[in-house]
This record gives sequence, structure tokens and C-alpha cells, in this order.
Amino acid sequence: MQSTKTKEFIQQFQPQTLPTSLPNEVRELAMSALNILELPTTKWEEWKYSNLRPILKHQFQPANHAEIDNLAAYLIPDFEANVLVFVNGVYSKSLSQIGELEDTVSVTLLSELEGETAAVFSDYYGKITSPEGQIFSALNTAYAAEGVFIHAKGVVERPIHLLHIQHATAAQSVQMRNLFLVEKHAKVKVLESFHSSNDTPSFRNAVTEIFVKENAGLEYVKLQEEGEAGMMVDQTEISQASDSRVKTYTLSMGGNWIRNNLHFHLKGPNTESVLNGLYMLKDNQHVDNHSLVHHFAPNSYSNELYKGILGGKSTAAFRGKIHVHQPAQKTNAYQSNRNILLTDTASVNTKPQLEIYADDVKCSHGATTGRIEEEALFYLRARGVPMEEAQQLLIHAFGAETLDGITMDAVVGYIDQLITARFAGITD
Amino acid sequence: MLSIKNLHASIDDKAILKGLNLEMKAGEVHAIMGPNGSGKSTLASVLAGKEDYEVTEGEVLYHGKDMLDMAPEERAGEGLFLAFQYPVEIPGVSMVNFMRASLNSIREYRKQEPLSAGQFLKLMREKKEIVNLDDKLLKRAVNEGFSGGEKKRNEIFQMAMLEPSLVLMDETDSGLDIDALRIVSDAVNQFRSKDNAFLVITHYQRLLEYIVPDFVHVLSEGKIVRSGGKELALELEEKGYDWLKEGVGA
Ligand SMILES: Nc1ncnc2c1ncn2[C@@H]1O[C@H](COP(=O)(O)OP(=O)(O)OP(=O)(O)O)[C@@H](O)[C@H]1O
Ligand SMILES: [Mg+2]
Repeated sequence: MQSTKTKEFIQQFQPQTLPTSLPNEVRELAMSALNILELPTTKWEEWKYSNLRPILKHQFQPANHAEIDNLAAYLIPDFEANVLVFVNGVYSKSLSQIGELEDTVSVTLLSELEGETAAVFSDYYGKITSPEGQIFSALNTAYAAEGVFIHAKGVVERPIHLLHIQHATAAQSVQMRNLFLVEKHAKVKVLESFHSSNDTPSFRNAVTEIFVKENAGLEYVKLQEEGEAGMMVDQTEISQASDSRVKTYTLSMGGNWIRNNLHFHLKGPNTESVLNGLYMLKDNQHVDNHSLVHHFAPNSYSNELYKGILGGKSTAAFRGKIHVHQPAQKTNAYQSNRNILLTDTASVNTKPQLEIYADDVKCSHGATTGRIEEEALFYLRARGVPMEEAQQLLIHAFGAETLDGITMDAVVGYIDQLITARFAGITD
Repeated sequence: MLSIKNLHASIDDKAILKGLNLEMKAGEVHAIMGPNGSGKSTLASVLAGKEDYEVTEGEVLYHGKDMLDMAPEERAGEGLFLAFQYPVEIPGVSMVNFMRASLNSIREYRKQEPLSAGQFLKLMREKKEIVNLDDKLLKRAVNEGFSGGEKKRNEIFQMAMLEPSLVLMDETDSGLDIDALRIVSDAVNQFRSKDNAFLVITHYQRLLEYIVPDFVHVLSEGKIVRSGGKELALELEEKGYDWLKEGVGA
């Protein structure tokens, strides 16, 4: 029997209306799953460090349409992209900036799916399942009303920026769902950024499914910059066919409580995957990154680098698992999680894991947690650089490595500045 | 310029400097020699402001100001420069950004305008010639993957950029090949003037043939046990340090 607590939790997300454009069978399956699934507790191994208490203590209303008038505050300077703006999970046509959409790509709102596009969409929608985080992905599948279907059919030059703003007057929730389909030989770059206009509590439950076909490429940057009361569960599932290349960047620079689940399913041989992450936490922020890379086929390469810089009383967790299945010979898989603690009250729990069933592989994993290099700090200060600036330089040097490989220069420039400014004013 | 009186310093309650006295005037070059572990680098670190060391007694005046009260960056602003015995590698911080941060911080301390990008790059080009520093090194992260000798030359390059008034050189000659030793010494001699002073820590008389000191001091067990002119270095080279130890009580 499902607990009352879980029942009540689910109930608050029930929307008034559901879009008719989404495949019904998938939704119905999710809805019946919602009748039996339980909310995870910290007794569950996978949720040991993601205590849901901050989310459970609020009563969230499904968010409503709203307008904002200072979009510029959220845009990335000099970033030439097609920008789709969602305020409270609702697409804003007037704020979005879609210049020239190349004919190599189609971008469709889930609420507007129809005809041929809808047919392609249903072939992929809800097709990658993953047991972890089930209740949240089921909730999303049952109730998500909006999101984006990006269908890249060739090389797409202009990046796509999905820009989300929480603009709440009372505690609110947003459930969004994306599907990216990158066809054979196609290439696309996506930035998805998350912001809030104020510090009213908000909860975002996002699911993104991604299919990257043979010899295709995807660069996907997720920039989490919500406000002090922004809570978020993100589930990203990526399936790669042979010879494809995917780079993901999960950058948590704001928000109050974040749980990221990132799963790669490397189905074909000769794939390349980069999983980078950066979390820079202050005050009572909490970020938990869970990643899982399934190597199913031979000759593939995956490289994961997550770095954290934690101040205040912030907490972080990292769980990364590389699972090399028996047929995946000649796999090269690397994983590393490195952390700097700026205070005695910040803490991180890290556990990189390898599970290898093939014999001819090269794999490594490691984790470190330390302080800012005292020797380097002294060297800089001995050259006249004041304490705070020296710390910022070192923090930037440490963090910026995770941006390696992002080819959207304006995005790198913007995040570079965020990294430098993140701990301005700290002096230990 | 620099006046060290009865300086005692310890680390983790272990006394290392035990009553050190030294007076330096502008225009002078002082050499400090002494056995391994006698406290030479400790002296350099204490003067530069490394917080691991606790000064338990004594005073250090620099241009008449109490230096022990200043943060390391303030000492640099006042004109102190330490060429490290073991320069650290700082991955992710490029030489250019490092040098710009350093130079402009010091200029700001002295209430001077920051250099424009153009002026700064011109200065870099000019100074790197002096120590024959490869362009490629300046494009890398600070000291990252530099050879031992390249690290030392980089220290002298930074000295040339920052134009300090008091230079502490901690075994800058160790690890330099014969040509590099000449280049580094030439750079130092070129920069020497009546307004600045050098404290040169070395194990080898050879460096002192290039950078000729006015005074040579022997540091042993945290104290200066003998001072003399440049001939003292030759004598040490010949006899080692043991004869001095015996002579301490005499
Ligand atoms: N961080 C430290 N912790 C403990 N002992 C230290 C530390 N730093 C220096 N010492 C000790 O202090 C003493 C002096 O060291 P220092 O590096 O000043 O010697 P030095 O004269 O520069 O020697 P060398 O000629 O080998 O460079 C040594 O015995 C050394 O082991
Ligand atoms: Mg030494």
C-alpha cells in the first residue's frame, strides 16, 4: 500500500489540464506507476544523500503562465543562439528569440506536436527507462505539460538555448519534458539554463531523453542558476548509437537543493562521451550528482570529470558508476571527482564506482577532497596578489577545467565570470 | 633598508631561527651560505610572510616599517621579492593572467594606474628577452611542466617585471646550467642599482663570482655565526662548515 505521505505528495502536482498532444499510453503507464511507487528515503542507497525534507516541507501549486519584463538579465551576452524562453514552464512567444531556424533542425513545443513530427516523437518518447529516480520520472511523464522536441537532421550551426525562469508568487512546481533526437551525421549544440526571478520556493522536475544516432554529435550544457529557494530533480537519459559523440556539462551554480541523475546508454561501438560537471555551493546549498554510464558495446570512450567547490554549510554528493558490460571490450572509461572545501562546515560525500564484466578494458576512477593549495596561494600573495583575488584565481583555475570542450565561446565566457564571481567576498 | 633584530621563528613549536641579526643597506648584495637545514629558506619565508612560521621574538624593519605585521601581498607591494627555491606549479592559471594580476595588484598598492593590455604585453616582451625566456613558456600555466632551470629563470623574469627594491634569492643558481647561470646573473647585475638590495642564498661560490657580494654570512642552526667579505665564500668552499662550528664557542 502506498503511504499517505507519498499520495499527498503526488497529488499536489496534479495539473488542471493535460495536453492532448502527448502519447496517451505512455502517460497512462506512468499514472498507474504513480499509484504504487514510493517516495525515496535516505535509507535507500541511491538516495542516501538526497534528503527530500526541503521539498516535502512545502505545498507546491502547479505553476501558471506569467510574464517577465527583464529578460536581458537572463540572456548570455553575445551568445548567438535561437532562444526559447519558458516562464513558469510556459512558453513565451514574445520573449523567445528565434531568428533563423536552419532547415537541418526542427524545434517543436510538446503542446504543439502534430502530424509527421508527432509520429516521429512517439517513436522515441518514453523509450529509455531507468529504475533510478522512478517516482520523479513517472511524475513527470504523467503530468508534464510542456517541453521541447529538438529534431536535428543535419549539422545545426546555431546553438539552441532553452531558457527557463521560475517567476513565482507562491510556492510552485514546474514539470518539463524534453526530447532531443539527433539523426545520423547530424550535429547540434544545446544550452539549457535555469533561473529564478526571486526567492520564492519552487520545485522543478525535469526529464530529458536524448537519442544520438550513428556518427552524430551533441554538445549539451545544463546551467543551473536558480535562486536561493529553487529545488530541482533532473533526469537526463542519453542513448548513443555507434560512432556518435556526446558532451554534457552539468553546472550547478545556484539553487537550494538539486538532484541530478545522468545516465548514458552507449549502445553502439566507437562512441565518445564526455560527462563534465561543476558545482559551486554556498550557504546551505545541496547538490547530489548521480551518473551512470553503461558501456554495452566495444571500443568506446567515456570520460567523466566532476569538480566541486564548497563554502558555507553546503553539502554535495557524487555517485558515479561506470558499468562495462561483457561485450564492451576495449572500453576506455575514466572517472574523477575532485572537491575543494572552503570551510570546515561544508562537506562532500563521493563514491566513484566501477563495475567491469569485460576483460580487455582501460578504466580508472578516483576522488579527492582538499583545501585550496596553500603553497599556490602563498606564491600568488608573495607576488602581490591580495588574498581574496588569489583565492578567486585558484578557484577559477580549478573549476574552469570542467568547461573544456564547450565550443559555444560566449557561454564559456559567461560561465567563466560566474566561476570567478561565485565566491567574491569570501576571506575565510 | 632591511633591519633584522634577534629574530626567532618556529614551526610546529620547533625553533628554527634562533636570534638572527642582519642589517642591509640599499645598493648592497649580501650572500647567505650555510649547511642544509640551517634555516636559510625559513628566513626567506619568514621575510616573505609565510604564515606557517611563527615569529616568537625579534623584529624586522623594512624601510623603517614593521614588516612582520604586513600580509605577504603588502610586503610585495612595499617592494619585497622572493625568488623561491622551489617555485610552485599553478595549473589553470596562465603566466599572462598571473603576471597581469601580480603587476596590477602591486601598482594598485602603490596607487598607480593599472597598465593597459598593450603596455603590459610590451613589458612582458621586453623583460622576457632579458632572461631569454621562451615565448612558449609564457603561454603555459604558471611553472606547469617547466624544467627546474626554466622555473628559476621564470623567477628572475618576474623580478624583472616587478622591479622590487629588495630581492631575496633562495638558491636561484641550483638547477641552472652554465649558460643559464650567466643569463640569470647578468639579469640581476643589470637590475642592480644603488636603490635596491639583494639577499642571495646559495651553496656555491660560483654564483658569487657572477653576482659579487659585499658581504657573506654563514647561517648555522638558526643564527649567523660568521660574517665577512666575499673571500669568506672562497674559504668556505675550501674548508666546509665544520671549522666554524668548532669556532663558535671560541
Ligand atoms: N614545514 C616544516 N615542518 C617541519 N620542519 C620544517 C618545516 N620547514 C622547515 N623545517 C625544518 O626547518 C629546518 C630548516 O629548514 P630550511 O628549509 O630553512 O633549511 P635550508 O637552510 O634552506 O636548507 P637547504 O640548504 O637544504 O635548502 C630544517 O630542519 C627543516 O626540516
Ligand atoms: Mg633552502
